[in-house]
Amino acid sequence: MSELSRDALLGIVRQVWEERDPVPDGLVARMQATAAIAASDLDTELMALVERSTELVGARGSSAYTLRFVHGGTDLLLRIAVDGNRSRVDGWVVPPEPMTIRALPGEEPAIHDAVVSESGRFELTDLPVGLMRLRLEPHDSARPAFATPTFEI
Amino acid sequence: MTRTDSARASGDDAPGRSTTPPNQIWARATDGFNRWVAGDPAGLDELVAAMTPVLWHVVRAYRLPETTAEDVVQTTWLALVNRRTSILDPVAVGGWLTTTARREAWRVAKAGNAATPVEDEELAPRLPRQRSAEDAVVQRDEDRRLWAAVDELPERCRRLLRIVAFENRPDYRQLAADLEMPVGSIGPTRGRCLAKLRVALMQAGES
Repeated sequence: MSELSRDALLGIVRQVWEERDPVPDGLVARMQATAAIAASDLDTELMALVERSTELVGARGSSAYTLRFVHGGTDLLLRIAVDGNRSRVDGWVVPPEPMTIRALPGEEPAIHDAVVSESGRFELTDLPVGLMRLRLEPHDSARPAFATPTFEI
Repeated sequence: MTRTDSARASGDDAPGRSTTPPNQIWARATDGFNRWVAGDPAGLDELVAAMTPVLWHVVRAYRLPETTAEDVVQTTWLALVNRRTSILDPVAVGGWLTTTARREAWRVAKAGNAATPVEDEELAPRLPRQRSAEDAVVQRDEDRRLWAAVDELPERCRRLLRIVAFENRPDYRQLAADLEMPVGSIGPTRGRCLAKLRVALMQAGES
């Protein structure tokens, strides 16, 4: 074998690691999704919290409370129920408007979403507890998405 | 683009297949970044596609397990999106990313002792993916020879060379801190490590 240049040697090192410890399948796609969601959040307008009910403690240790957010002419009422380490959100959008609601637990990419019904209702079930925000994406593409501030379930 | 594409793209002047040199990846990253900042979301996709493999290899050199390494790569991308306005020179975006990733990898490795060392025995059985049948036989010998040469290097050399190989002009001061080496010794050590690799390859070629 002839004398190898520095660049050739470093090329071999890259090649060996690319073969023996390859980038996991789907990693690039997952990172693209993460970055895209984070980037779209940058331009997302925040709703304002206008009302928060005191906690209603129910039977068997479950509890529920309500939050109300507004943004422009849109009113969002959430009823949040916690049972153990899972939670559910029942929501009403007033006035009703076709949109997709995405729950963004912590910094993870969206895993829970729902479409608002004609009457303005939606539900998100089996959510984790902890920090949460909802992103509202109107189906009318002329209307920009907006989101609630982070709240804790 | 995939690893296999880049590995097979060009010439045969070096033994085995050649990989995309870092300066080309960095140029692609800069191009993607510029397009994204100008308002094209596809630019961000391109930037992530170009640099995620580099970040993977740099982070894994810190002996973090796969899931932890993936978290570090994700943290790096979130940091880029949130602090994009602080990157004034688009040419520097590749270096900003690898530096951020190395810093985070170092922090995570130090902190939780989450760094269960990645033993070589764990890595060795992972055979190359997506290899066509006729390539396989010829290629496996070649791979084995190259892997063996890299394996013969001392641990510190393997880590240093892995980082240096995927980086484009790394910041030696940070690197020195991460590898717990004096800053002045990085250059000479790299030279010695490359010399050892050259000898190991020559011996492997003769046998």
